[in-house]
Amino acid sequence: MFFRVMDKERVPELVSGLSESFELFGPVAKGEKFVLDRIEDPAELRLDFDTTLLPPKKLFFPPEDQMMRFRVADNEVLDDEVFAAPRMIFGLHPCDINALMLMDNVFTGDYEDPYYTARRASTMIVGVSCVPTESCFCNAWGTDEVHWGFDVFLTDIGDRYFVSVHSVKGAELLDQHVVTREITDEDTAAFQERTRAFKSSFTEELDTAQLPLLLDAKFDDKLWDELGERCLSCGACSMVCPTCYCFDVKDRLAADGKTGVRVRTWDSCQFSEFAEVAHGDNFRASRASRVKYRYYHKQWGYLSKFERVLCVGCGRCAKACLAGISPREVVKALEKGGEC
Amino acid sequence: MLMSASAYRELQANPYRPWPARITSIMDLTEHEKLFELRIIDNEVREAFKFDSGQFVELSIFGVGEAPISISSAPSKQGFIELCVRNAGDVTGALHRKQCGDVVGLRGPFGRGFPFSEMKGHDVLLVAGGLGIAPLKSLINHIHDDRHDFGKVTILYGARNPDEVLFRYQFDMWKHRDDFDLKLTVDEADDTWTDGVGRVTGLFEELDIDPSVTYGAICGPPVMYRYVIDEMREKKMDVDKIYVSFERRMKCGIGKCGHCGVGHQYACVDGPVFNYWEAMNLQEAI
Ligand SMILES: Cc1cc2nc3c(=O)[nH]c(=O)nc-3n(C[C@H](O)[C@H](O)[C@H](O)COP(=O)(O)OP(=O)(O)OC[C@H]3O[C@@H](n4cnc5c(N)ncnc54)[C@H](O)[C@@H]3O)c2cc1C
Ligand code: FES
Repeated sequence: MFFRVMDKERVPELVSGLSESFELFGPVAKGEKFVLDRIEDPAELRLDFDTTLLPPKKLFFPPEDQMMRFRVADNEVLDDEVFAAPRMIFGLHPCDINALMLMDNVFTGDYEDPYYTARRASTMIVGVSCVPTESCFCNAWGTDEVHWGFDVFLTDIGDRYFVSVHSVKGAELLDQHVVTREITDEDTAAFQERTRAFKSSFTEELDTAQLPLLLDAKFDDKLWDELGERCLSCGACSMVCPTCYCFDVKDRLAADGKTGVRVRTWDSCQFSEFAEVAHGDNFRASRASRVKYRYYHKQWGYLSKFERVLCVGCGRCAKACLAGISPREVVKALEKGGEC
Repeated sequence: MLMSASAYRELQANPYRPWPARITSIMDLTEHEKLFELRIIDNEVREAFKFDSGQFVELSIFGVGEAPISISSAPSKQGFIELCVRNAGDVTGALHRKQCGDVVGLRGPFGRGFPFSEMKGHDVLLVAGGLGIAPLKSLINHIHDDRHDFGKVTILYGARNPDEVLFRYQFDMWKHRDDFDLKLTVDEADDTWTDGVGRVTGLFEELDIDPSVTYGAICGPPVMYRYVIDEMREKKMDVDKIYVSFERRMKCGIGKCGHCGVGHQYACVDGPVFNYWEAMNLQEAI
């Protein structure tokens, strides 16, 4: 990795330069909150955002995604191409960049998902450092730091950014669109100082000792029944989660009934029919079993394959939960015993 | 070469895109089940389509959807596959309305099947309940085509009533063979029925098996596993020589959609066949 320094006031010029060659996305204000949206005017970009309502997964794995067009008569696929325009997301926090890398594990591997990977390949990422909020617990999983998975990363060191340049394309674009300078010892010291301050600004250190094993050991704990009583099975946690990837597949016929599209839509393991099979058997009929499965899969199922937990500690699900269930509290209750 | 993950990579094929396949034969088995013979239309793909007993395909009917279905024919027979399908809903219902010559879609083969080469040289005890005979039929026929490589072969098959016994035409003939020990049972008999009456577990009593050399395979409705495994353990069979095949809801078949989660695994890629030792370590599996 090599590094440059860029004055903060140069961001608008960089952004307008970039918007000439890319569909540009970034955090913009929506009322009191922030959303990830198209940037038409550099002034809309808000690098001081806390978190976006929906995570960046929506740009790679949209809530409803067309997989293929088909013709009914001969059961033929008419087209399954993915149109992926060159895009850039300007302003992703380390948690969300880490989340995309966790999603990559699922959508690549033995069977590559062409829809996700095409969009991933055509999208550049500029990361930006953050300030932990009350609901953040990325420090529990080490996802408060990010070492790759971006083209360029901007770390805020006062009136300037300490710029980590990861990809050739990122280096070229910086060269083309903005004035940067070499780093000095003073810049590096400021970078280290900001990292120390950042690390010490989290409200708590979550104890996650042996969590995957605890999930098995406490599989029948009454904690799950209590959570099952509270959970509304609304699935909001899955929708706002940057790492939840479950989907449903449906065929939609055109008005004439001759052609149609096969689409996939976001789904949630919290929905009652998620694990139902023919003849009425449902492997997770109770709410308690579904709430538990969400934790079980994230902290153990995924880990058993990829050696990472499927959570980045962004805190979105805790904010979205109408029943006030927060993963931080669930982990604490598992570790220490008792209610949450 | 198994036409699984690696082949999909090599062909750079979209694993969600079904291969067009023609229905080349349809046989009524019972009131609710039919046996379909399918041939993938593209020559190259049809030749590359190699599978293991216990693997499944995603059957695709555009405009309706997809359903996971076990391959019922044996891997030793190439160029076509057979699917034994119960009319249970949208996709299977639409398939039942198709005619010979119609085209449907297939994706796969997917999942992990029975460990045929590991089973070779041993005795086998296969236990099926109801539609669970569909994947086991593939294994049974594969063993048949390779009979000299196996010791004693015992098949226990239970159905609700004589009208629901699948593949009865074949099993009726096999009853008189001495290289297959085939035992059938139904919950409720009728006048025509001359075989066992009662649950499939009832057939264990008179079984004489050597647990040190016997592999077991089980497929049936969810409630059946617990009881059959108890019987097999009673006979002192090893936990890691008993194989079970699980049905779970599936949308993708390739480890992406999350629907088939069983414990910390996915039934579509880590299963649907698991050995019992693995299954014991899967929460909520049995
Ligand atoms: C590995 C595997 C192998 C199978 N092998 C066979 C076989 O050889 N023969 C056979 O007849 N059936 C088999 N099945 C079962 C078959 O896939 C289901 O009956 C499927 O629901 C039929 O789809 P449908 O559209 O006709 O029914 P639907 O109209 O979708 O649904 C009927 C019921 O099934 C449930 N369901 C919906 N989608 C699925 C799904 N993807 N998987 C399971 N349940 C679902 C629904 O909740 C509903 O209650 C197998 C299932 C699996 C997982
Ligand atoms: S069927 Fe989609 S993950 Fe198994």
